[in-house]
Amino acid sequence: MAFDRRLVIRFDWTIFWSVLALAGVGLLSVVSASYRGPHKPIDPLVVRQLIWIAAGTVAMVTVVLFDYRALATYAYPFYVISVALLVAVQVIGHSTGGSRRWINLGFFHLEPSELAKLAIVLVMVRYFREEPPKGGWRLRQMIIPAVLLGIPVALVLKQPDLGTALILVLITVTLVFVSGLNARTMAVLGLAALCVMPLGWHYLKPYQRQRLVSFINPQADPLGSGYHIIQSEIAIGSGGPWGKGFLKGTQARLNFLPEQSTDFIFAVFAEEFGLAGSLVLLILYAILIMRGTWIARHTRDRFGALLAIGLVAIVFWQVAINIGMATGLLPVVGITLPLVSYGGSSLIAMMLAMGLLISINIRRYFF
Amino acid sequence: MNTAFKQRRTRIGWLTLALAALFVVAVLRLVVLVTLDGPRLNSLARSEHTAEEELAAVRGPIVDRNGEPLALSAETRSVYAHPRRVFESSTVRDRAKLAAALGMTPAELEAKLKKPAPFVWLARRVAVDKAQAAEAVGIEGVGAVSEYKRFYPESNLASAVVGLAGMDGQGLSGLELEYDKIVRGEPVTLNFYHDALGHPILDSPLELKSPEPGAQLELTIDASIQSLAETQLAAEVEQSGARRGAAIVMDPFSGEIVAMANVNADPAGIHDRLHNPAVQDAFEPGSTMKGILASIALADRAITPSKEFYCENGKWTVDHRTIHDDAKHGWLDLGGIIEVSSNIGAAKIALTLGADRFYEGLRAFGIGYRTGIDLPGEAAGLIMKPSTWREIDLANHGFGQGVGVTPIQLAVAYSAIANGGLIVRPYVVKAAYDAQGSVIFRHTPQVMRRAIPPDIAHEMNQLLRGPVNGANGTAHRAKVDGFEVAGKTGTAQMVNPAGGYFQNRHVCSFIGFLPADDPRLLILVVLYDVGHGHFGGLYAAPVFSEIASGAVRDLNIRPTDPNYEVASIIPIPGAKSARKRTAAPAAPDADDAIPALTGSKSPVTPNFAGMSLRRALQAARRLGITVDVKGDGYVVAQEPAAGAPLSRGTIKLTLGSVVADAAEVAASSPAHPGKSARSTR
Repeated sequence: MAFDRRLVIRFDWTIFWSVLALAGVGLLSVVSASYRGPHKPIDPLVVRQLIWIAAGTVAMVTVVLFDYRALATYAYPFYVISVALLVAVQVIGHSTGGSRRWINLGFFHLEPSELAKLAIVLVMVRYFREEPPKGGWRLRQMIIPAVLLGIPVALVLKQPDLGTALILVLITVTLVFVSGLNARTMAVLGLAALCVMPLGWHYLKPYQRQRLVSFINPQADPLGSGYHIIQSEIAIGSGGPWGKGFLKGTQARLNFLPEQSTDFIFAVFAEEFGLAGSLVLLILYAILIMRGTWIARHTRDRFGALLAIGLVAIVFWQVAINIGMATGLLPVVGITLPLVSYGGSSLIAMMLAMGLLISINIRRYFF
Repeated sequence: MNTAFKQRRTRIGWLTLALAALFVVAVLRLVVLVTLDGPRLNSLARSEHTAEEELAAVRGPIVDRNGEPLALSAETRSVYAHPRRVFESSTVRDRAKLAAALGMTPAELEAKLKKPAPFVWLARRVAVDKAQAAEAVGIEGVGAVSEYKRFYPESNLASAVVGLAGMDGQGLSGLELEYDKIVRGEPVTLNFYHDALGHPILDSPLELKSPEPGAQLELTIDASIQSLAETQLAAEVEQSGARRGAAIVMDPFSGEIVAMANVNADPAGIHDRLHNPAVQDAFEPGSTMKGILASIALADRAITPSKEFYCENGKWTVDHRTIHDDAKHGWLDLGGIIEVSSNIGAAKIALTLGADRFYEGLRAFGIGYRTGIDLPGEAAGLIMKPSTWREIDLANHGFGQGVGVTPIQLAVAYSAIANGGLIVRPYVVKAAYDAQGSVIFRHTPQVMRRAIPPDIAHEMNQLLRGPVNGANGTAHRAKVDGFEVAGKTGTAQMVNPAGGYFQNRHVCSFIGFLPADDPRLLILVVLYDVGHGHFGGLYAAPVFSEIASGAVRDLNIRPTDPNYEVASIIPIPGAKSARKRTAAPAAPDADDAIPALTGSKSPVTPNFAGMSLRRALQAARRLGITVDVKGDGYVVAQEPAAGAPLSRGTIKLTLGSVVADAAEVAASSPAHPGKSARSTR
């Protein structure tokens, strides 16, 4: 493939810098979360995160060079590999906190569920890449996507990783909606979802139900099962409008906050940088997501548009659920904050995804 | 553009909207968390990870003007524990030993240790050896720190003035309260941070600032005169059957309180430390008011000293109410009225003066106003607005009924008569020193305002000698050997809370100053609730005499040269820091004609502050000094300053209005501790 000057001219700097800014916020927060006093050395976590940011940046820029349409060809094989890894993780995976989530590759802890998110986007976009029949997709055409979704969801739930399962479902729902659904089918699916909800309630852990109750009635159980959420709320609320200052967050420092560098990294950041910092973070995400949907709207190529939506969906739903969880709006499910939370798999997968988004934007004029 | 593309765009548009809406929800939630829930969450955060303990610093000592301690702090120990560490590092038997060492049962100890805190007190303020025994058990996480317990070495001496400090080293009353901020010192706040599991964080900022000890207060009180006043007062309270008594000894020029005694007929108790009737309780002064009335009437030119009033032979009806005198009198001039203490005469003067002018005069004397003494809870007294006075009220006020004054107010008012007409702010604390001994502040005399002109004060000074020396005087018992005394008795019926007055319960008082020609001490004695033989002259005057005799001896005050009259001198601020125990008896050659002005060895520049031009010139002539005068009124500044070695040069005096504030007076006459005129005598 010959080098195209348009690759440089149309390079999407907005996405690029937003991604790097978010990664920077993440690095800062990881430093904070792993800080253990002025005389202690910098945690190796920080160094690793820095390396991954560098690697991710290279991956993001590299992927821009490739034509995303080639991905259509690899969608199914990639899906199969991802599912295979999800199976593998059940066999040879390592467990953290009671759930098997990653495979040790020696230099890297691979989290297949991060790949599964990309795989589900690719496979759904691949499936829906043709225009729907007049009036939109019908229920019958939903069977294959349901199966494609069901397999990884089941495997992820087995880990158990409720959060990722939820994300996979939400990504699929988003893509199905955008791909054009028959109105009747939409109504039927919506109804079905409503019917499943009480069933879902049944499967929720008691503390998760408690969170839902607490959302309606915050005083229901302030110090019981919702301890994590309360700690997170305390960290965010006590940060105040301007925060306690970098490395000065007490709740994180004194280990009141759980999962500081991953699931609750938002609370670490919000405690130290306050409401102002949180809003800056949210604005960065908003820029990324709004830019993504803008690209989707302006891409004539259906595959590209759907792919853009899928990538945006990965980011958006994780942000929404993570922050919803950290602020006590949603039950605790293990979801990392994309580009910010510590973790190589997630970071590189996310940066790859953003590289793809840039790639789509550059090529949306080509066709 | 094909339809499919358009439709897709629309769907993506809707999706974008939905996503944006969810973002807005997240933002709102964040704002709610930080703003509405912020304070609650913040305090939750604090209570989660910190435990705060305050260690009081050593309270500074309170000493009298000669360094005699009136309040001190003794070291005790307080034993604390970090419960989690204790449980981790000790056995049940260890803890039983610890409990035994602390004199508690093992169960009591366990209860204290079971608290979910990173730090608990096991025993506060126990004897040092007890704490050492507890530490000797050797349990990790148990320690002891020094804390201090307040005690009063002179027991009840000046208890109401010194006041009381509480268990945690906080001032509760008296000077302990008034100067709590500096006496208390800088307490140490120990912050214990602990993590989510309750382990103390070792490298968290565990501040261990050493406590800054409190300031030392040096009082104007002289412990031996205070003791004398209390003893004499107590004796008289017992003998007279009074319920209680109060006495104030002060320097009428500077406002220094030399003694302030409060004595109860009931046994002394904590109440005596909490309540100071000498500044906190008002009483009806009775005839002592006549001195103030006369001053006002003279200053107002409403009467002249020679004007005579007919005293109605002891019985006079005003407003259908009868005023009685103790004896029948006919025509009396002002001196006579004061000497025999005629109520009718006083009533007639008051009526001549009129309500408004009398009221204005009383205000100038500070009746009904706080004196501003540095003691807490001062009462303002009670005086009604003149517009509400009936004729009989005006007449009654003339001899001190129907008006409430505090003892300190009365003392300050009479000080004005003694010092040439100036109302000074009384004070109890002479200076405060920090732990290193450097001065935090030093009180200088503060002139609040002029109550009466110097010549009227001089006139009154003369008239007030009548009660003590006059043939018909009411206060012969106030005489002091070798000294001329000026003063006035007072007797008032006590107010019945149910209305009217008690027929048979009285407040008897005597207020006076000496030496009359050069007043150095003003002494007020009040006996409350005397049932019988109620005349002030009978009971209060002898106490005055006893206190005065002792005080002049203690302070080396010498009888005044009868040839010299001076009444309006403001002494050098900070003077009279008389080391009475070290001062040699005054040598005969040190007996100067103007004792307040010069020292004995090398003559120093006298303090002219507050003098009228005539007196300043008179004083200068006596000392053979040339003065250069500028302005008119009273001396407000001089060059060289008072206390500087006296050279034969010219002293420049600046005159002005003496409604001066203290700063001005102080600036014009800086203190020269240890070199002042009076200290060398």
